[in-house]
Amino acid sequence: MSQSATRNFCIIAHIDHGKSTLADRLIEMTGTLRHDEMCEQVMDSMELERERGITIKAKAIRLRYLSKDSHEYRLNLIDTPGHVDFSYEVSRTIAACEGAILVIDATQGIQAQTLANVYLAIEYNLEIIPVINKIDLPGADIPRVMGEIKSVLGYDEDAVIQISAKLGLGVPELLEAIVARVPAPKGDGKLPLRALIFDSHYDPYKGVVAYLRVADGNINKGDDLRLMGQGTEFKVLEAGYFAPAQVAALRLDVGDVGYVATGLKSVGECRVGDTVTLQHGGAIQPLIGYHPAKAMVFAGIYPTQTDDYHELREAMEKLSLNDASLSYEPESSPLLGHGFRCGFLGLLHLDIIVERLEREFNLSLVVTSPGVSLTVTRTSGEVLTVVNPNEMPLPHEIASIEEPWVSVVIITPSKYIGTVMDLVRENYGVYKNTEYLGQLAMSELGQRVQLHYDMPLRSILTTFHDQLKSRTQGYASLDYEFVGYRIANLSKIDVLVNDVAVDAFSRIIPPDKAHEIGEALVKKLKEMIPRQLYQVTLQAAIGSKIVARADISAKRKDVIAKCYGGDITRKRKLLDKQKEGKKKMRQIGKVEVPKEAFLSVLKLQ
Amino acid sequence: MDCLPDYVKCLRKEIKSRASGLYFHSLYFGGGTPSLLSPSQVADILAGIRTAAHLLPDAEITFEANPGTLALPYLPEIKSLGINRLSLGIQSFSGAELTMLGRLHNAAKARQAYKQARAAGFNNISLDLIYGLPDSSVSSFKKNLAEALALAPEHISLYGLTLEEDTPMYRQVQEGLLPEINAETAADQYQAAEDILAKAGYRHYEISNWAKPGYESRHNLTYWQNRPYLGLGAAGHSFLENWRLANTSSLDEYLNRWQNDLPPTPSENIYLDLENQLAETIILGLRLDKGITAEDIENRFGQHVMDKYFPVIQECTGLGLLEKSDGGISLTPRGRLLSNEVFWRFLP
Repeated sequence: MSQSATRNFCIIAHIDHGKSTLADRLIEMTGTLRHDEMCEQVMDSMELERERGITIKAKAIRLRYLSKDSHEYRLNLIDTPGHVDFSYEVSRTIAACEGAILVIDATQGIQAQTLANVYLAIEYNLEIIPVINKIDLPGADIPRVMGEIKSVLGYDEDAVIQISAKLGLGVPELLEAIVARVPAPKGDGKLPLRALIFDSHYDPYKGVVAYLRVADGNINKGDDLRLMGQGTEFKVLEAGYFAPAQVAALRLDVGDVGYVATGLKSVGECRVGDTVTLQHGGAIQPLIGYHPAKAMVFAGIYPTQTDDYHELREAMEKLSLNDASLSYEPESSPLLGHGFRCGFLGLLHLDIIVERLEREFNLSLVVTSPGVSLTVTRTSGEVLTVVNPNEMPLPHEIASIEEPWVSVVIITPSKYIGTVMDLVRENYGVYKNTEYLGQLAMSELGQRVQLHYDMPLRSILTTFHDQLKSRTQGYASLDYEFVGYRIANLSKIDVLVNDVAVDAFSRIIPPDKAHEIGEALVKKLKEMIPRQLYQVTLQAAIGSKIVARADISAKRKDVIAKCYGGDITRKRKLLDKQKEGKKKMRQIGKVEVPKEAFLSVLKLQ
Repeated sequence: MDCLPDYVKCLRKEIKSRASGLYFHSLYFGGGTPSLLSPSQVADILAGIRTAAHLLPDAEITFEANPGTLALPYLPEIKSLGINRLSLGIQSFSGAELTMLGRLHNAAKARQAYKQARAAGFNNISLDLIYGLPDSSVSSFKKNLAEALALAPEHISLYGLTLEEDTPMYRQVQEGLLPEINAETAADQYQAAEDILAKAGYRHYEISNWAKPGYESRHNLTYWQNRPYLGLGAAGHSFLENWRLANTSSLDEYLNRWQNDLPPTPSENIYLDLENQLAETIILGLRLDKGITAEDIENRFGQHVMDKYFPVIQECTGLGLLEKSDGGISLTPRGRLLSNEVFWRFLP
């Protein structure tokens, strides 16, 4: 089929605005799959993805579409991850398309994350087709959403398609709009191959399978190819596309979207964003600048049972085969044993990895409180990257600390501007500007406004998002993007139990919060550590300065009062249980600390 | 209590089957409400035992009774049958506390029952009280104890309240209708009792028991010395030849089986190997003020307790929970209230 009959597009939508349902409907209504062959949400293949309503890994599906004027088209639908943690992957997906369907929920309007992706699509010159979805719902407010699309994105009402993906309403019109409005791919089949990798996964039989968009030239089975950014070389074991089942093809032509099986052993060798060309006589210029996605959030992951370390190591190895943005380094803690310091794209990425480790590998884990990667300059001039609080040099050895900052966009009804301002200020945010998006239907909420701030990424790792949601009754939405490193005023706070510092509890905090955070940490520990046979002193300290203290007084009574003939066996069982319980305790010095106490302090925000 | 005549018949069958030829230095009617038995039924049971087994002439024969269930002629009648010790479950002299505990009697009834027992000629009476009740204080408990001492019993048991799941009081605490039990107050009450009872001439011979000299419960000492005992009737517990056995707690099953001359299958039968015999002998022995002696353990088990448990004994003496004395070890006053912390360390 000719290049002129190909349309490459993606769907941009906020979580739950109906992206997967729309994708299903497009697959069904183009006849690619019959209704009875559909399982719900074909494009979200991982169990976890379907449960969380988010798409973690992009995939592409080829649809065959016969237009109303009886022309046959090849539609390549490329799925985009919907969450901010995966913005790098989103940008590569967008770079592989000529068009984007922007899905907006008729009951909710434009959300901050959606907007960030739309701007990205506009930056890459994609043709945007705005769609209002869920028009069948009673809470649909089409005029308001129309108004937002007009004021924020500048699209007139006649450019917007109203649909109900659930019922299939408006989807035929949308398909017509795709072929009419999205341009055919440009590119020259005679030039040396250039193809952009926008996703990859590891297959135990075929090695790494890379998803790519052919920009120039073509790919044939058996070609010797090279990645221009990473320099990796491989032979094409197989090429093909998904429809949605995997179909091997003789070749991928210019403008096509499909996959190649590379035989490579790890996705780390074949990263998203790199340009594929020929080993001999290849192109000179890559398609877009390649830079690997960088881990921004770090946490220690330990097995609850120290014996499970080897299982954890194997599980990390397996997961990283498929996830190039997951980094891990072994580390050990006197209290937690052997584990890994892991780097993630963001908090959601962390949650997903932990959940997969627990679910797919049946591990029970201890996860330390997440932190950012800091750049610390010693007074000696040496520059360190610190991802674990315990690697922090002593206060007098530090010349300066820099931490990552993000630019934050919050969309909220104007009623909550004051509340949001306060929250941002508490979290060290710096105000940039405000944009008004238009009047809301419920007048007491006022207008929709878009607030721009810069904030330390560290602030977002705590309860910021939850706080934002609860303080605005769920109305506000948030998006953020890394902007660079800035000078920070930070210190390490330690927790001491009977004068023994507990490495796993150390955190990096702003010094003006030291007392507040210290109090919270020792208070939590006091609640969670059972009374011991002697007094236990809990302290929070910055360097040698104690910022908070609490004491657990000694236990006085632990006695079985009645112990006669009929009681002995039952009481013996209680003692057996007590002995078992002691075995499960972790020791900090002489103090016995239940695992729950650990977890609750590690989770404390 | 229509089943009581049948129950006594079955009990006599069990006595005949399990107690024949044995020697007993004590007998205890308890665990439930033995005062539901008529004096003639008590006589019947005693006759069964005297026929089948040897009840030593100076045997301690205790009868457990709730003050609320005693009718006037009852006490002299059982006294005449040979019962020589009475254990009265007073629990408290406060009306509010008795209601909280779901008891049927009041303080006046308790005092009355005690006086009737004295009048009937009982000269070995034990009272029990409960400390650590929700809402109680050191002073309210001292008042209770003073009431008990005013009666001058030979023996006093003090039990700290433990909330067991699925009891009404447990639920009331869960629902916030009653305050949580304050462990500090309970510890203070126990320590106050130790002082007061010592001054009143009672020996603190076991964690929860005090007695005037010579009135220690011979029967209960059997348990704490980990010596054999035979428990008869539904839910009766035994320790025989290093087996811990329990009769079924189902009255129906107990009656059904014995009516067909079949012994019911024990609901619990655990054999204690040497390690467990030793551990339980130490744990039970340490409940006593005298503790355990190395000599006694060596005679019974051929083991050197001070060597075998050296690290545990060192740890517990270091923590102030155990002390070495007279070739043995015993709990310190602090160790009594924290005895579980000592005991679990001796488990195999």
